[in-house]
Amino acid sequence: MNLTLTVNGESRRVDPADSATLLGVLRDELGLTGTHYGCGHGVCGACIVLLDGEPAPACKVPALQAAGKAILTIEGLARGETLSPIQQAFLEADAMQCGYCTPGMIMSATALLARNPHPTDDEIRAALASHLCRCGVYGRVIDAIKAAAR
Amino acid sequence: MSGPRAWPERVPERLEYRLVIEPDGTVVARSGKVEYGQGIRTGFARIVALELDVPIDRIRVELGETDRAPWDMGTFGSLSTATDGKAIRAAAAYARKLLLERASARLDIPVSELETRDGRVVSRTGQACTYQELVSDQPLSGLVPEGWSGRPDAAPAADIPMRLEARDIVTGRARYAADVRLPGMLRGRVLHPPVLGAEASQVDDAAARSQKGVVAILHDRDFVAAVAERDEQAEAAIAALKVTWRDPAHSAVEPVELSLRDDADVDAALAAGSAARTLGASYHVAPIAHASIGPAAAVADVREDGADLYVAAQRPFGLRDEAAEILGLSPERVHVHPQAMSGVYGRGNVNDAALDALRLSRAVRRPVLVQWSREDEFHLSPHRPYLDATIDATLSTEGNVLAWRYRARTNPHTYGGGLDSPRLLAMSCGRNAIPPYRLPRARIALRVEPAKSRAGAFRSLAAAPHVFAIESFVDELARAAGKDPLDFRLQQIDDPRLRRALETVALESNWRGRPRAPGRGFGMACAVYNGTAVAQVVEVVAEVGGRPRVEQVWCTVDAGRLVHSDGARNQIEGGIQQAASWALLEELRIGERGDVLDSTWHDYPIATFTDAVGKINVIFTSEPGAESTGVGEPGSVPTAAAIANAMFEATGVRVREVPVLKVRSER
Repeated sequence: MNLTLTVNGESRRVDPADSATLLGVLRDELGLTGTHYGCGHGVCGACIVLLDGEPAPACKVPALQAAGKAILTIEGLARGETLSPIQQAFLEADAMQCGYCTPGMIMSATALLARNPHPTDDEIRAALASHLCRCGVYGRVIDAIKAAAR
Repeated sequence: MSGPRAWPERVPERLEYRLVIEPDGTVVARSGKVEYGQGIRTGFARIVALELDVPIDRIRVELGETDRAPWDMGTFGSLSTATDGKAIRAAAAYARKLLLERASARLDIPVSELETRDGRVVSRTGQACTYQELVSDQPLSGLVPEGWSGRPDAAPAADIPMRLEARDIVTGRARYAADVRLPGMLRGRVLHPPVLGAEASQVDDAAARSQKGVVAILHDRDFVAAVAERDEQAEAAIAALKVTWRDPAHSAVEPVELSLRDDADVDAALAAGSAARTLGASYHVAPIAHASIGPAAAVADVREDGADLYVAAQRPFGLRDEAAEILGLSPERVHVHPQAMSGVYGRGNVNDAALDALRLSRAVRRPVLVQWSREDEFHLSPHRPYLDATIDATLSTEGNVLAWRYRARTNPHTYGGGLDSPRLLAMSCGRNAIPPYRLPRARIALRVEPAKSRAGAFRSLAAAPHVFAIESFVDELARAAGKDPLDFRLQQIDDPRLRRALETVALESNWRGRPRAPGRGFGMACAVYNGTAVAQVVEVVAEVGGRPRVEQVWCTVDAGRLVHSDGARNQIEGGIQQAASWALLEELRIGERGDVLDSTWHDYPIATFTDAVGKINVIFTSEPGAESTGVGEPGSVPTAAAIANAMFEATGVRVREVPVLKVRSER
């Protein structure tokens, strides 16, 4: 099927299989591999992107449904070499180990701070509740998001 | 892992294999170890920066590239900084000596009047040579002298949080194996058998073959797979296959009885002990999944004359040799390229997705990316086996252990079993089964049973399960002796580093002044893991039968010289978080046939932002000048026992099984 998607502010024409998910299109059609496959059920958070500013698991969103929405992926946050405040805060706090879950967390944190510029610890935990990190950097992520909020 | 065929002696270090200065002044340091979040790339770069006076952004660390790195057995055991950090330090320090000598000859100035700064040798009078000038007609080479150990005088770089991969990670540029895209690359999916070793007795692939985009369907015994132009097409092809599986005939492999210590008269001493001071208890640790967030993936490009493998592998040289054997090529024709890796925690010792991709690429003669599903990952990746341990001990009137009897059962803790190698079993299944206490008489015995399911190496091997049993029992003994668990430990530990770790963690957590209130408890546990001493105090809020919350952890760590203390702190914090998740939540359900019953994160919950440990305080207690030991695994080793001991103090109920709560149904 032929689709036009708006990804990171650019209009992109793609021709995926009818059954394609947004995750498949981002990774295989558009080469945006920073959004990761983790579970395919929308529960681990590794594939979170923003659709019209709201976090959504790209592995569960049919590509067709994403048409007409503003799709923001991890590749769309930095301006050139200037990181977004949340990216910078993750980097400065070393809020990562293997980094596989990190892009999804950064996307959810971006949405959180857009609607709630000064979240409490509990609000951060709730907003990121669906993100799994096996390396166990939860505390550093909370610290990084608070630092970005300052 | 299939287990090393031999344990080669370390060969003498050659400088040119470890360290190269490129024409633009970039310093390349090489190791056969791989990075999966532990931070060794950053650690190695910091070592070179310190020893060679080079800015860290002019250093490139190459890890696990089999064409160029020195041979290495594998990245496990929290050894990378201890072994390869040391080798890189020696190489960098020796390189600095050679550069000073060359500059001395070139400038005709004695070495004593030269120093190194910012990638150059400089004299007091302002003359200078860059390192690249000094190696332009003759690269650095030669044996690194034994005992070369670097510059104790050099001031370490600022200890800020940093990770050389961080910018790539936060921008999505980090390339994991599943992100590799090669020209002409096809996509493979494997239909895994329901039970390890089951064979496809009948395969009806007519429908799958006729589907759009399908390039090949392969089936050979236990391997059934599809290759297609696109990933969804390969997935659809797999779904359209009709396969009849035949369960494997398990050959009768006898369990192995292993004795780690067998003093005379242990049973007699236990029988003669006073009833009030003689205790016995049994502990159970459930099997758990590595639960890596990224399911296995790999790209193989097999050609007539060689193969390239883009992988997440903890044993790149082992994979190279395995692949070469399958392909009938000499090992140097197989080139293994480790990519960024989702945390693997031991799971990457098994080369499954890489060999899947290899077989498919060999069949279609094009590069193939194989992606395992989450379900595949739960069902067929190796897992940490169960442990059952029964401990008996008798105490003197002063509360010292007189006799100790430890009997445990488990499965092999390395993939492939190693049931024929008592040495491998002792270092894997027996890891930390010998406690760090003075034991006048002891018998420590293991029974290792073959596993029907895919048991394998997991962070710390059997250490965390053994230490759960041992440190829980020590808490029981302390209370039976009427002693505080800290005093009880200190009175029978000789190791000065472990004593200091315990004393320090007690001070930092205000152990002696800890509040005693129903529903709130503190617990302590300790271990020495591969040379790293670690002690923990955990504070929990818990009710009988309720779900405990770990509010705070204090952890002291003696890992010798720290290369990057924030990186080490991150590793310890992560180990504690992961181990708390094991202890509180995790049990991998395995059926009678060895079939793993859990398929999703709903079946197998791990700790999340909402139930993770609240606050973790890490304190390093190393002596200056000590050799580096590891930090990847030690943080995870005492946590389960410390939590269980804290729960006892909070509730009066002793936890002898982990996970503490089986919360599957709650979620």
